[in-house]
Amino acid sequence: MNLVALAAKAGLAVMLLVAGSAKLADLASFAAAVRLLLTFRVPRGAVRAAALAVALTELVAGVASLVLPSAGWINPVVLALACGFVLVSGLGYLFHRGRSCRCFGALSNRRFDLAGIARSLAIAATAAVAMVRVPPAMTGIGPGSRTLLLASAAVVGLAAFSAARALGSARKLELETS
Amino acid sequence: MRIPVYLAVAQWALLLALGVLVILMFRQLGRHLTVTRSPAELGPAVGSPAAGFEYVTLAGPGVPGGVPGGGRDGGPGGTAQSFQPGGGQASLVAFVDPTCPACEELVTALNAADTDGELTGTRPLLMVSEPPSYLQISEPFRATRLPLGQVQADATLEAYRVSATPLLVAIDGAGIVRAAGPATRRGDVRAFVTASLLPAPDGGGLPVVSGARDGHNPDMMTAIAGEERSLARKGEAAGG
Repeated sequence: MNLVALAAKAGLAVMLLVAGSAKLADLASFAAAVRLLLTFRVPRGAVRAAALAVALTELVAGVASLVLPSAGWINPVVLALACGFVLVSGLGYLFHRGRSCRCFGALSNRRFDLAGIARSLAIAATAAVAMVRVPPAMTGIGPGSRTLLLASAAVVGLAAFSAARALGSARKLELETS
Repeated sequence: MRIPVYLAVAQWALLLALGVLVILMFRQLGRHLTVTRSPAELGPAVGSPAAGFEYVTLAGPGVPGGVPGGGRDGGPGGTAQSFQPGGGQASLVAFVDPTCPACEELVTALNAADTDGELTGTRPLLMVSEPPSYLQISEPFRATRLPLGQVQADATLEAYRVSATPLLVAIDGAGIVRAAGPATRRGDVRAFVTASLLPAPDGGGLPVVSGARDGHNPDMMTAIAGEERSLARKGEAAGG
C-alpha cells in the first residue's frame, strides 16, 4: 500500500507539472477555456491573469509535491486541486458540453464530457490514495536526490512546454488553412 | 548505495511522462517533415497520363479476411493485379505506409469518406510499399475496407514520383492525372475525389495543380471550384 501511495503521489505530481507547463505554453487558449466558466463580464486581462494563476498553481504544486515528498501539507493541497478539477468538469459538462477544456493545453483534445468527469474523479481518488501516511524512511531523500528530481522535473516541464507549443502551432496552422 | 524508494518511484513517473512527450513530439515532427516536403519533387505532373502498374492485393474486395499474406516480402497469398488508369473510370490512388503517422490520418479520412459514400464514382486504391506484416501495427490499415495492394516494382514509385508518403493522386476517367499531392484530412479527400470526377478538359485542361502543402491545397480547391462554376454556366446556357 505504501508503494501505491507513493506511486499515486509521484504520478499526480508529474501530471500537474505537465498540465501546468502545457497550459503556460498556450495561455491564450486556456484563458478562453477559463472564460467559459465565468458567467459575468470580466476584463480580458483578469481572465488571462486567472488562467496564469491556475497554470502556475498546478506547476508549483506539482514540483513541490515531487521534490518535497515528506512535506505533509502538500497532499491536502493536491487533493483540493483535484476536487476543483471535479467541480470544473461538472460545471463544464452542465453548461459547455463538448467544448475543449484545454486541461493539458494543446497536448490533448480533452472535452467537457462524461469521460472528463470520470477522469477528474479518478484523479481525485488518486489524490486521496496519495494522502495515505507512509513511513518517513520511504520518503526521506537528501539534497542530492532533491536536486536530481528538480532537474528531472525541469526537463519534463520544458518538454511538455515545447510539445504543447509545437502541437498548438500546428493546429492553428491547420485552422488557418482550412 | 541504496536508492530511496520515493526517488525511484518519482524518477519512473518522470521518465514515463518524458517518454510520452517525446513520442508526441516525434509524431508531430514526422508529420511536419512529411507534409512540408517540397511539392516539386512529389507526385506525377498534373495533366500527364497516369502510368499503369502491377500490384498484389492485400485486403479489400476479393481478399476475404483482410490484410496479411501477399506481397514480395510477405510470403504467399494475395492476387496479382494490374491497375490500368482510365477506361472511363475515375481513380484515387493513395500511396501510404503503415509506419507513417500522416498516412494513418489519410487512411482514416479515406475510410470515413468510404463509409459515408463520398468515394462513389471513383475507384479508390491504397498502395503500400512496406512489408504486409507492418499493416497489423496500424489500426486504420487493419480496419480499412478499401482495396489495398503492395507495390511490386520500384518503377511504379518512380513513375508516380513517390518521394514521400502520403501521396494522393486523382486520375480522371481518361487516365489523366488531375491532382496529386500530400493529403491527410477529410476535406483533402473530398477535393481529390472532385478532381478525379471532373470531365475531360476541352483542350485547355485544368490549371496545373500539384503538391499540396500541409495536406491542404487551396489552389486545387480554387481550380476545382472554378471548373465547377464553368460547368454550371455551361449547363445553364444549355438549359436556357
